[in-house]
Formats: sequence, structure tokens, C-alpha cells
Amino acid sequence: MNATALAVLVYPLLSFLLLGLVWPLRQNGRLAGWISTLAAVASFLGSLRLLWKVLEGEGVGSATIPWLVADGKVIAELGIHVDGISASMLVVVTLVAACVQAYSLGYLADEPKADLGRYFTWHSLFIVAMGGLVLAPNLLQLFLAWELVGLCSYLLIGFYWRKPSAGRAAVKAFWVTKFADMGLLLGLIVLYATTGSFEWSTPVPAAWAVVVPALLFVGVMGKSAQVPLHIWLPDAMEGPTPVSALLHAATMVAAGVFLIVRAYPLFEAAPPLLLAMTWIGAVTALVAAVTAVVQDDIKKVLAYSTCSQLGFMIAALGSGQLMGGYFHLTTHAFFKALLFLGAGAAIHATHSNSIHQMGGLWRSTRFSAVLFIVGAAALAGIPGLAGFFSKDLILEELLHAGQYGPLAMLLLSAGLTAFYMTRVVAIAFFGPASEGAAHAHESPPSMLLPMTVLMVPAVLAGLAGPLFAGLWNQPYHFALTPVGGLATLAALSGIGLGVLRYGTRSWASPLPEGPRRFILSAPIDSFWLAAWQRGLQPVARGIGWVDRYVVDGLMNAVGWLFLLAGEKVRALQTGRAQDYVLGVLMGVLAVVAYGLVGAA
Amino acid sequence: MNLPLLSIIVFAPLVAALVLVFVPSSARSTTRIVAVASAIVSLIGSLIVAVGFQPGGGYQFREKYPIIESIGINLELGVDGWGVSLLLLTSIIMFAGSFATWTLKERDKEFYILLLALVCGVYGVFVSLDLFVFFLFYEIAVLPMYLLIGVWGSTKKVAEAGPFRFLFRILDIGGKEYAAMKLTLMLLAGSAFILAGILAMYDAAGLRSFSIEALEAASYPRGMQMWAFPALWLGFGTLAGVFPFHTWSPDGHASAPTAVSMLHAGVLMKLGAFGVMRVGMVMLPEGAQAWAVVVGIVAVINVVWGAMAAMRQTDLKYIIAYSSVSHMGVVMLGAATLTIEGWNGAIYQMFAHGLMTALFFALVGLIYERAHDREIGNMGGFAKAMPAIAVFFTIAGLSSLGMPGLAGFVAELMVFLGAWKGPMAWWALAGIFGAWVTAVYVLRASRAIFWGQGPPERYTDLSDPKGPEWVALVVLTACLILFGLVPGLILVDIDQTTTQYLQLALDAARSGGAR
Amino acid sequence: MNELLANGPGLGAWLSLAGLLFCIGTYGLLTRKNLVAVLCSLELMANAVNINLVAFSRFHGDELGQVFALFSIALTVAEVAVGLAIIILVYRQRQGIEIHELTDLRG
Repeated sequence: MNATALAVLVYPLLSFLLLGLVWPLRQNGRLAGWISTLAAVASFLGSLRLLWKVLEGEGVGSATIPWLVADGKVIAELGIHVDGISASMLVVVTLVAACVQAYSLGYLADEPKADLGRYFTWHSLFIVAMGGLVLAPNLLQLFLAWELVGLCSYLLIGFYWRKPSAGRAAVKAFWVTKFADMGLLLGLIVLYATTGSFEWSTPVPAAWAVVVPALLFVGVMGKSAQVPLHIWLPDAMEGPTPVSALLHAATMVAAGVFLIVRAYPLFEAAPPLLLAMTWIGAVTALVAAVTAVVQDDIKKVLAYSTCSQLGFMIAALGSGQLMGGYFHLTTHAFFKALLFLGAGAAIHATHSNSIHQMGGLWRSTRFSAVLFIVGAAALAGIPGLAGFFSKDLILEELLHAGQYGPLAMLLLSAGLTAFYMTRVVAIAFFGPASEGAAHAHESPPSMLLPMTVLMVPAVLAGLAGPLFAGLWNQPYHFALTPVGGLATLAALSGIGLGVLRYGTRSWASPLPEGPRRFILSAPIDSFWLAAWQRGLQPVARGIGWVDRYVVDGLMNAVGWLFLLAGEKVRALQTGRAQDYVLGVLMGVLAVVAYGLVGAA
Repeated sequence: MNLPLLSIIVFAPLVAALVLVFVPSSARSTTRIVAVASAIVSLIGSLIVAVGFQPGGGYQFREKYPIIESIGINLELGVDGWGVSLLLLTSIIMFAGSFATWTLKERDKEFYILLLALVCGVYGVFVSLDLFVFFLFYEIAVLPMYLLIGVWGSTKKVAEAGPFRFLFRILDIGGKEYAAMKLTLMLLAGSAFILAGILAMYDAAGLRSFSIEALEAASYPRGMQMWAFPALWLGFGTLAGVFPFHTWSPDGHASAPTAVSMLHAGVLMKLGAFGVMRVGMVMLPEGAQAWAVVVGIVAVINVVWGAMAAMRQTDLKYIIAYSSVSHMGVVMLGAATLTIEGWNGAIYQMFAHGLMTALFFALVGLIYERAHDREIGNMGGFAKAMPAIAVFFTIAGLSSLGMPGLAGFVAELMVFLGAWKGPMAWWALAGIFGAWVTAVYVLRASRAIFWGQGPPERYTDLSDPKGPEWVALVVLTACLILFGLVPGLILVDIDQTTTQYLQLALDAARSGGAR
Repeated sequence: MNELLANGPGLGAWLSLAGLLFCIGTYGLLTRKNLVAVLCSLELMANAVNINLVAFSRFHGDELGQVFALFSIALTVAEVAVGLAIIILVYRQRQGIEIHELTDLRG
């Protein structure tokens, strides 16, 4: 058993158990926060050590214990599987988690103590679950952890449980992802039925080779918010901003991408699916980017941007290149977490989510504004920053795979990304001075420090390309190719457009009114809502009614028929003794007659 | 040391019930102590049996006392891997249940006497190795329910509608007496089918013995199996809530007092499913194979129908009661697959659902007692006043919808694995869909009760559990988590027995009944 | 005729007598309205059976039949005692012993 890898899980697990079971500790919110944060930091140091060891070629491999049996044989195992992918992913997860938890200490300082204690308990559970997902030795454990991170997401989105909208968002997130998970679970079942195990390395028989990964991909679409199952992610922004940073930007939503990377041997055997993935990814990237352009809520912009970037990753994986997708996952985790934390700082300062309420924040919160702008630049793909390298790699790979349609869509999305980030920065930080910004003050150090820590990888992670290339044993030399140039051009023109439109500090609408209205009306959401309201609910109502009044009614009617029959038969009971005697006599005579006939 | 452990487990409740007869009604704490003491005796006994059970050793802890030897009726006890896990389940739930009704005020002595008699019957069914005694215990378990619901139950007004509207007045639909009567009559009608099936087996085997082992080894003509199996399926199935004979369950569970709902949904419904599998499928394998498709399709209907019906309920108890219908469908689905995974899953689901639904009903009882209301539409924000109950409710709900780490997931996963390999692969799909609908109604209920602003001002008595009530909740929750994380604790025993039975059944079916 | 005088009537005759008595008793039981008369009819039937027992005993040479007959007579006495007691109670309650009036057990 790899003790280093285990330690990464044990610290947050201990913290979770401690906070979960020791009531007074949880009630004292701040102490709980410190325990959980320290556990996360310890976990981060542990995963750094693990990565170091793995890079030196030590401790790679898996260790499992039996979990389920059937027919006397072990059919499912749990355990840990350490390799470069899991080690590097663990570093990302724990680093962002540690930063986010430390940040939460400042961001949520005013919340009720009991709520705060619960918040950090769930955070500890999340690290355990996400670690279990990353270290999963087989698809079953990945699924278990997958569901558990979904649970954490549900609980954390519902942090403001008194707010009806938060409750709705939490439940919606759970329902939608669980809906998609039906596909994942069915995929697992078919995988087991066809290969007899939950391993991702066992090839599936040809007849099912497309079905199994396709079913798995349905789950991925839910968790990683691909169109049309992305509808929960924007709503999930009802949760506290640090939660959005950790779960709904950096780590949990990337679990789908991670699953594909892990189970790639299965996906590889299904070329039609890969093609579909490329297109779905590209469509998601474009649709989400367009939607992000018209949002006024800073978190919604970032949420749609997350969808869009996840689309980039899925498209890359679909084109058959793991490295680009995974590279982008990592860099995106850093700069998107930074962006969310920055947005949180702005929200904390102005008590509003609307970018228009933040106008002129630059003057009052200069430090966090700089951090946010760095994150935005990294997302937009400014050369030299993290996002530039990974996005460039994805586009290169798509070109390499000859996917010109998706490539064009992704290039357009890249331009739009730069445009909407510029819009946010221009309005929120340099826009007309607003009421909220007037009273704003800089965030406390407990929030600024984690953001500063995150800024380092957001800037530098792009240089880790060779390291990631090592994971797949493929050469990687960065060189500015025509596609890279095109991407840079798209980014720069997006920024330029943004500056032109919003640099003059006007309140211009990003799009003409008609399309803007249409996008804001959330057509895909409406579709699902209609399916829910006009499909499932009436059916359920009908079944409930039929069960109560027809099925049960039939049972009652049977009972009533017996009552009726009794009414008729009771006439025989006259109550007159002589009638009964007559009956006895008849009976005797009948018996005698039977005896006589029988004898004859 | 050769203690007759099984007898002690089975008859401890009966002894306690007899003792209670002589305890004055005013000695309320003595009543509870006697009941809890017997529950503890049975619990310890079950734990010893579970720990001492050797996987793969066939029936163990055997005892045999003659009753009517001339026609082969003996009090013969013994456990297999299935029995062990269900015995454990029963004792855990009885232990928790005797704490959950601590605050009962009205005729509590009689209540506990009936409850103890009922649980004696339940234990007896799981350990009987004699079909006649099996049936006897089965009836002992079913009958006290009539009084328990009729006397201590609650009444619920039901809107008059539908094609059978005229019956509402006549039958007093919605009343607790109605619920008690419906439950008893439907279950007894089922019992008639069971008796017919059992006697047919006794007769066809021609051994002048009711011993389950002897009857298992006998072979039965195909024609007889073809009608005796469905008779047993419908008979036992009524108690397991098989569609469309499940309608006693929502009314019965909704009317019953807390501990009764816990035991009834938690354990008694399992008697039905256990009977279908143990008596129907293992002993009449040819009939089972021939009817498996029907059993499976009806089970699928159960799963989806129950879940959808639960979705539109607004009464908390009805939601949980319909969820039981749905989850027992999962058990029957696993049984119908006739695969090892499916059968393991079915037994495990009985265990997991027993714990989960007992926890649910305990919580519903607590909420009802504090809110004096069961309409979830009226509630909201209860988490503020009862945070612990909210946590327990969430955990029960998560197990219900199949969250990994809780017992329900293990069971459902195995049932679905079996379902795909079973006679019709699409059963798995329907089962998974049912699990999703479960997520819909459980989270909807949980949000309506605990989340949001509130609680409304007219709820003045809301509070977290007190004293003994904690025991019930903590024990059940701990078991849900324990058996969700470490299923091997009982799954190994279950699997051994399943493997053995299924092998027997399949061999017998293949060789056309001749063993 | 001499034979008849020497040996008394044969088995068939006795059985016929018993049958006749039984029929009369049955007729009375079914048709009489007065409870006392019903009881009397019942006595007739019982005694018809007793005659049967004694007759068989006599012609089969088995004393056991007579023992049974004695038992039966004793039981009949008890029965009559109980029956009359019931009749008296009924009379006290209802001021009449018409059997047609007693229909409380009607379904």
C-alpha cells in the first residue's frame, strides 16, 4: 500500500470524521475551519511529495482490497492507483482546495457558526471523495467517488439553505447530474456484464464497444456540464463563491474529463463516439461562450465560461489527444479558481453579484482587481500565461486530427472568451462608479493570500507542458504555429473589441436586443423544464391518482363484493331454530342418499 | 457451551410479552425496560449467531423439537446465510423500534405485548426449517398488526374521487380501522394461497414431512410447480407489496404508529420477499424459471410505479410508504433475475431497505409528534429547529436513492448487475430510472420539510430528538453507513447461501425436476 | 303367531317402531310452535334411538348396547333439565314460548 498516497486521503478523512462526529467542534465554526484547512494543506503537501516520488519513478502501481463478492469471487475492489495522472491531478485538487478553504475563512466569517462548521465538514468530505475519484483503480470506485462529490456539491450549493433559490439550485444540480449518472451506471453494468469486471483496461466485445463508452459519456456530460445537460451549472452559482471556485470550476466538474482520460482505452475503441464528443465539446464551448457574453451576474459569466472551457477539453479528448485536454484541465483549474476567488472578493466588497454594481472597483480594491485581471488574462489566452499554452495545444491537436469544423468553433469561442472577460473587467473594475463600489474596501489577508498563491500557477502552469508530455511519453515543444497565431489573434481581437465597446465606459449591450433576449430566456433550460412539468409530473400525478382510486379502488370493490354477497347469503340465516333443523335433516338425507347411490 | 441460541432469540420476545401480562399498566418504565431487555437479548443472540456463522456450512445453530411427529411437524430451527442477515436486521430494528415509541402514552403495555408477539413471529420465519412452523410464525407475525393499527393507528382523510367513489362512505376509507382491516384481509387472502402452495408441496413430495430440507430435496411434477409457484408468489408477494396487491401498504403504513411502521416496512415486508425466494424459488425451481419473466416485469412495474406514485404524494408517511413499494420492487427484481448477483442484491436490499425505511419511519414519527402535521406542503425550515433530524433524514434519503457509502447502493448495484444478465436486460434500465425518481421525491421532500425560511410560526413544539429517541436514530444510521462501506460483513454469508441455492435450483430446472 | 308369542317381535319390527317414532319426533320438531312440544318431539327422537340400541343389543347378544342406552337416557334427562330451564327463562323474559318468536340470531 502506498502510504504517501493514502496519507493524502487520511488527513481530510480524519478532519471529516472529527468535525462530523464531535458536535461541539463543528458548532464552533472557526475552529472547524482551521482544522479542515490544515488538513487540506497537509493533504496538499502529501500530494506534492507523492508527485515528486512518482516523477522519480517510485510508488507507481495500485493496491486494492476486495469489496463485493458474487459466486464466491471478488467482483469489485476498492483501492488506490498511483501514477503520473493521479499524482498530478491530486496536486491540483488539493492545492485549489487548500486555497479555497483558507479563503472561505475570511469570505464566510460572518456566517452562523453552525453553518460554517457544516461547510467545512463537507469540504473535508469533498477532498476525500475527490481524492478517491482521482486515485480510483477501477471505474466502480470512480463512480462511487463521483456520486460522493455530487453529494458534496448538493450540500455545498445548499449552504444558504434558508434561501429558497439555493435549495432549488442544489436539488436541481443533484437531479440533473443524477439523471446523467443513470447513463454512467448503466454503462458500468454493461461493462461488468460484458467483461466481468469494472476495469477500464479490459477491452469490451465489439458488439458493445461503442455502447459502453457512450453510456459512460452520458454521465460525463452531466458532471462536466456539456450541452444540453449543462443547465445545472449556472444555477449552482447559488452556492458560496469559494464552493463555485473549488467544485464548479476547478475540480468536480473536471471529473468527467478525468474519467475519459482514465477510461480512454474504452473510448478509443469507439471512433464514432469520439467524433460525437468533439462536436459536443465544440458546440458546448461556443454556446456557453455566447451565453456568457450577455450575462450581468459575474458568477454566471464565469459559470458559462467554465462550461465553455470544459467543452474545449472534451473536444480535445474527442480528437484523440489526451494531453491537450488534461493539460487544459489543470491550467483551467488554477486560473478559473483564481477568477472565482477574485469575483468573490468583488462580491464581498460590494454585496452584489451584478457587474454593474461593481463599477469602479479598481479604485478601492486594487490588489484583488489585479489578481482577477491576471486570471482573466490567463483565461483569455494572453501569450505567456497558463491558458494560452493549453488552449493552443488543443487547437493544434484538433488541426492535427483534421477536425476543421470544431476547430473553427473553438477559435470563435476563444475570441468570445476574450471578449466577455474584457467586458467583465471593463465594467466591474473600470466602469462608471457605482453605489456598491463607493463603500467597498479591500478583502482581508485571509482572502488575498490564497488568491496570491493561486496566481502563481495561473501564470506559470503553462510552462509545465513538458511535464504533462512526460505523462503520455510524447514529445512536446512549444512553437507558435499558424493555429497558435490565429488563436492569439482571436484572443487579442476579442480583447480589442471589448475595450472598444466598453473602454469608453458606456453601458452598451453586448449583443443586439433580439438575440440577447433569446439567450437570456435560456431555451435549453426551458426545454427541460417543459419535459419536467409536462412530461414527468403529469405522469406521476396520473399514476398516483390511478393507484389511489383505480388500483386500490378495485381492491376495495372486491372487498365490497364480498360484503354484498354476504348481504344476500344472510337471508338464509332466518334465526328460526326449526329452519336450521330442517337443514340438518336435509343434510342427513343427502348423506344417506349418497351412501345408497354409492352402494348401488 | 451449547445454548439453544435460536430458540432464545425467537422466544425472548414471547417470554417478555408473557411477563408484561403480569406487569401493572401503571408501571410504564417497567414495561419499556422489559421490552428493551428482550430486544437486547435477541440482538446479542443475533450478533453471536452472525459472528459464529461459518460461510458455506449449510444450516447452522440447529435445534429440533417434535410437535406432531405422526405428520412430520417439528419445531426445527437453523440459519443459512440469508437467515443470518435477516435475523440481524430484525434484531437491530426491534432494538431501535422499542426506543422509538418511548413516548407512547395510550395503552402502552398492550402495545408492547402485541409488538413483541409480532417480532417473535418474524424471528421464527427467518430461522424455521419446518414449513408448517414457518407458516405458523408467518401468521403470528401478520395478525397482531390488525390490533396495532386498529387501536393505535391514526386516521387520514382521503378525498373522494374516482370510479369507486361510492365506496368511500361504505368502507370508511381513510380510517385507521379501514386500514387495519384492509391490511389484514389482503394479507390473509395471501396466506390462503401460501397454504395451498405449501400443502401441495407436502402432498406432492409424499414424505409425510414438513421439513424444509426434505422438501427441498424432493422433486415436484412440472404441472404442479406451474400453479404452485404463482400461488406462493402471489401469497407471499402480497406481503412484499407486489403490484397490484400493494395497496394495503400505503394506507397501512400511513396509519400505523411509529414502531409498527418501522417493523412492518422494515421487516415484515421482507418476510414476503424471503418467502417468495426461500420457499417459492428455491424449492420450486421449474415454476420459478417459467414464471421469472412475469415476476420480473411485475417487479419493474413496482419499482417505477411506486416511485412515481411517491413523487406526487404530499403526506410524508405516504411518500415513505410508496417508497417501500418501490424498493421492495427492487428486491423482487433481484429475485426474478435468477442470477447470483441479483439474489445477493435482493437479500442485501432487504437488509438495506429494512434499515433505511425503519430510520425513515422513526424520523417521520418524530416529526409528526412534534409538528402534529404530515403535509410537507405546510412545512419548511425545520432544519433550524431540528438540525439533527434533518441530518438523519438526509442520510436515510441518500441511502434510499442509492448514494455510495450507504447500504442501499450496494444492494441496488448488485440487483442491477444481475438484472442486466437476467431474462430481460431492460429491467436494469427501469430499475435505474426508479432510483432516479427516488432521488427526485426524496430530495423534494427533504427540501420541503427542512430547507427554506421558517419554520412557520404555528409549529411550536419543534425540537431535536430527546433521550432514548437518539438510540434508535444513531443505531440505524450507523448500521446504514457500516454496511454501506463494508458490505463483506454479511455479503460473504449471503453469497455462499445464494450460490448453493441457485446451483441447486438451476440444476433441478435443467434436469426437469428430477434430482 | 306362535313364534311371535314365543320370541316376541323380530329385529325388523323393533327397528320399524324406532323409525316411526323418529319420524314422528322429527315432524314434531319441525312443525310444533310450542317450545315444550318441540322438546317432547326431541325426546321421542332420542328414545327412538334408544330403542334401536336396545334392539340391536338384544339381537346381537352384546350387552354394550344396553349400557349405551342407559347412558343415553341419563344424558337425555340432563338435556331435558337444561332445556326446560331455558324454556322457563325464555318464558320469564318474553312472556311466551313460541319458537317462531325467537329469531334474535337472524343474519
